Amino acid sequence: MPLNIDIVQILLHMLNFVLLAGGLTLILFNPVRRFMDERRRTFEEREAENRKNAQENERLKAEYEAKLLALQEETAAARRQAEKDAAETAKAYIDSSRAEAAAILAKAEDDAEKRKEQILDSAQTEIGELVIGATQKLLGETATPERTQALYDAFLDQAEKKAARKEKHV
Amino acid sequence: MKTNKPRSKGRTVFLIVWLGVVVGLLAAILLIGIPQGESEDLRELMQDAVLHETNKVSLFGLAVSPALLSAYIMTGALLVAALLIRLIAVPRFRTVPGRFQTLMEKAVDFFSDIAKGNSPRKTGFVAAYIFSAGVYVFFSTVFEMLGIQAVTTEGKSVALPAPLADINGALAMGFLSFFVIFGAGLVVNGPKGALKVLKDFSLPVSMSFRLFGALLSGLIVTELVYHYTALSFGLPVLVGVVFTLLHAVIQAYVLSMLVSIFYGEAVAPPKAGKQTQQAPQ
Repeated sequence: MPLNIDIVQILLHMLNFVLLAGGLTLILFNPVRRFMDERRRTFEEREAENRKNAQENERLKAEYEAKLLALQEETAAARRQAEKDAAETAKAYIDSSRAEAAAILAKAEDDAEKRKEQILDSAQTEIGELVIGATQKLLGETATPERTQALYDAFLDQAEKKAARKEKHV
Repeated sequence: MKTNKPRSKGRTVFLIVWLGVVVGLLAAILLIGIPQGESEDLRELMQDAVLHETNKVSLFGLAVSPALLSAYIMTGALLVAALLIRLIAVPRFRTVPGRFQTLMEKAVDFFSDIAKGNSPRKTGFVAAYIFSAGVYVFFSTVFEMLGIQAVTTEGKSVALPAPLADINGALAMGFLSFFVIFGAGLVVNGPKGALKVLKDFSLPVSMSFRLFGALLSGLIVTELVYHYTALSFGLPVLVGVVFTLLHAVIQAYVLSMLVSIFYGEAVAPPKAGKQTQQAPQ
């Protein structure tokens, strides 16, 4: 044939390449491609899992934020209630303390007044006794009817005042 | 500092010897005289390089072209290499690949991407086919650089050429690719798909002769360069290695691309088939 074309040699070349193609495909191409496909599948699975985890994280985050917000609102309400209760309690305490203080003060004032009266009574009694003693002493030396009358008047006057103060206290 | 002296001395000696050899060879060439290339019949050399009519080797008891022996040697070597890779390297593949694993994955990915880019469906088969074809074309083209010697039926020594530098090898690849495309069209789209492929009846011839011509042109240029002694210094490094590597890569890519494009047209759904890229003739 022209150009040295030989059918048998063409067929032998074809047989050679068919053997090579089959061998390379089975031995090398397919295993390498299978490995790459498996790796790609693994990565895709991981990516899908990561995406799913990210979505789950987003959901949990939103849920957490909602809960946090609710909690914050609840805390704020509780704080407001506590502040209100505290204010009311404080006010009650203050009122009570004020009332108690007022009562103590009033009692103290009363006691002080009584004490003052007692002291004044005692002092007046002593003064009266001193005056009487001095009067008796003076009378013993210079007793005139006018002086005696004046002394009696003074004594009666003092006795009346004392009786009036006692009545007032009672 | 002391250890550098012997090294620099050795380098000096090497340079002197090397320059001496180069000067000696040049002097010998000038003294003998540059041959004009007529010592060997260039026409016969070219004819044998193209047609492989003169030198035959024995394969399975048949007197065949040395290129066929090259093809079987190449196939054997590639299958052994693939088997070693399968048994040693593939089980050690990791999620984060090393250099060799990256190389293997890139090769597989490269041909798979070509298949996916040109075929709308059934890309697995054509990816495996063009992977094998690409690997075969590349390594069988590079094979000629090894210069493996074989004994012809006449007892002469001959350097084994690239398998595809033989017209029979190129025709085998072209027709086999055509049968693959035709078969895929028939299986996937039925008789309509097969007819679509048959319409391009020039496909196997054009693919074969493109491959043969590309390989042959490299071979002829190399033979011409080697034929003249004056061009045998330095230039063969560029011509023999760089050109061979270049057209090995280019032909592997072109064949893979053409097969995947025609395959894509053959397996495309009838409506989508009209919109697919027009394959080059």
